[in-house]
Amino acid sequence: MRIPVYLAVAQWALLLALGVLVILMFRQLGRHLTVTRSPAELGPAVGSPAAGFEYVTLAGPGVPGGVPGGGRDGGPGGTAQSFQPGGGQASLVAFVDPTCPACEELVTALNAADTDGELTGTRPLLMVSEPPSYLQISEPFRATRLPLGQVQADATLEAYRVSATPLLVAIDGAGIVRAAGPATRRGDVRAFVTASLLPAPDGGGLPVVSGARDGHNPDMMTAIAGEERSLARKGEAAGG
Amino acid sequence: MNLVALAAKAGLAVMLLVAGSAKLADLASFAAAVRLLLTFRVPRGAVRAAALAVALTELVAGVASLVLPSAGWINPVVLALACGFVLVSGLGYLFHRGRSCRCFGALSNRRFDLAGIARSLAIAATAAVAMVRVPPAMTGIGPGSRTLLLASAAVVGLAAFSAARALGSARKLELETS
Repeated sequence: MRIPVYLAVAQWALLLALGVLVILMFRQLGRHLTVTRSPAELGPAVGSPAAGFEYVTLAGPGVPGGVPGGGRDGGPGGTAQSFQPGGGQASLVAFVDPTCPACEELVTALNAADTDGELTGTRPLLMVSEPPSYLQISEPFRATRLPLGQVQADATLEAYRVSATPLLVAIDGAGIVRAAGPATRRGDVRAFVTASLLPAPDGGGLPVVSGARDGHNPDMMTAIAGEERSLARKGEAAGG
Repeated sequence: MNLVALAAKAGLAVMLLVAGSAKLADLASFAAAVRLLLTFRVPRGAVRAAALAVALTELVAGVASLVLPSAGWINPVVLALACGFVLVSGLGYLFHRGRSCRCFGALSNRRFDLAGIARSLAIAATAAVAMVRVPPAMTGIGPGSRTLLLASAAVVGLAAFSAARALGSARKLELETS
C-alpha cells in the first residue's frame, strides 16, 4: 500500500512536535520529583559536624583543561583529594549529577554566583557520583570553573544522606552543617552561602534548617535573617 | 520543491496547533500579553475573549491546514496569520521590549525582542513557501488518513495543553515562593 506523501510528512511533523513536548514534560516531571523529595530523608542534620571524605578531582583549579579523566569509572587522571570541613574555612558542597536537570540548574546558578564573586569567603565544591564521561553531555558542567570531584565511596553519600540530587550543604568554618537541602536557584545559593559564613553559634546555635522544598527554603531565609539581625544588634551595642 | 512546500505546510500547521493549545492552557497569562498591545481601556472580559479568539483561531487554522491539505483557501489564511505575528512582534518590540509575548503559552519564555521579530519573519517566509502549488496527487488523502491525522493532532494538542499547564503551574509556584 502506498502512503500519500503529505500524510507521511504531516505525521513526521506531528511526531517531532510530540517528541519535543514529551521531553519538556519529562524534564519538568524529573525536576518536580527531585525537588519535592521528602526533606526528612535528604541531607545531613543541621548542627551536626560535617564528615570529611575522599574524592578525585575532575575539573577546576589544579586540573588544567577541565573535565574528563579521573574517577573510579573514568580511567586514569585526576588527583586524589581529601575534603576536611572546618579549619576556619566555610564550605559549600553541592552533590550534583550531570543527568539530573535540576542539578544543571543548580550548577548554572553556582557558576553565575562564582562569576559575580558571590562565593567569596566560602569554599565551593561540586561532587558528582556518575562517571566523568557523563559531564560532557551537560553544558553547565562542562563550563564550570568550580572545583569538581567524583565521590569515591558510597559511605560519603550515606554520611551526607544524598538520597536525591541536587543537594547543597553549607558548612561553617568550624565544620558544622549550617544548612542542607535541595537548591536550584540563585537566591538559594545566596542563602546557603550566607548560612555557611555565619559565625559559630554561642551555645544555642541556629534553628534546625534542613530540606528545602522546591529548591527554596523560606524557613532558612527567616533563620538567617534573624541571625543577621541579632548580629547587627550585637554590633550596634558594642559600637554604642 | 514540492516536498519542501509540504513540509512547510505541515510544520506550520503543527506549530499553530501547539501554540493554540498552549495558549488555551494558560489563557489568563496570554490575555495579559494581549492587553499589552491595547493602548485604550478595554473591559477585562473583552480582553479575555480576544485572547480566546486568537488561541482558537490558531488552533482551528492549524488543524484545518493539517487535515485538509488540498483545500487551497487555508494557505492564504495561514500566511495572513503569520503576517499578523510579524506585526505583533514589531509592535511588541517597539512598545514592550523584553516583555514576555506568551507566544507559546507557558511552553516558552519568548519575549518581544529582535530574535522574536526574526522568528516571526521566518514563520511568514515558511508560510509563503507553503503557498507553492503542489500536484494534487501529493496532497490527496482519503477519509482514513484524514481521521488518522485528526487523531494525531488531538494527541499533540492535548500534550501541548498538558505540558503548558504543568510548566505554567510550576512557574507560578516558583513566583509565589520567591
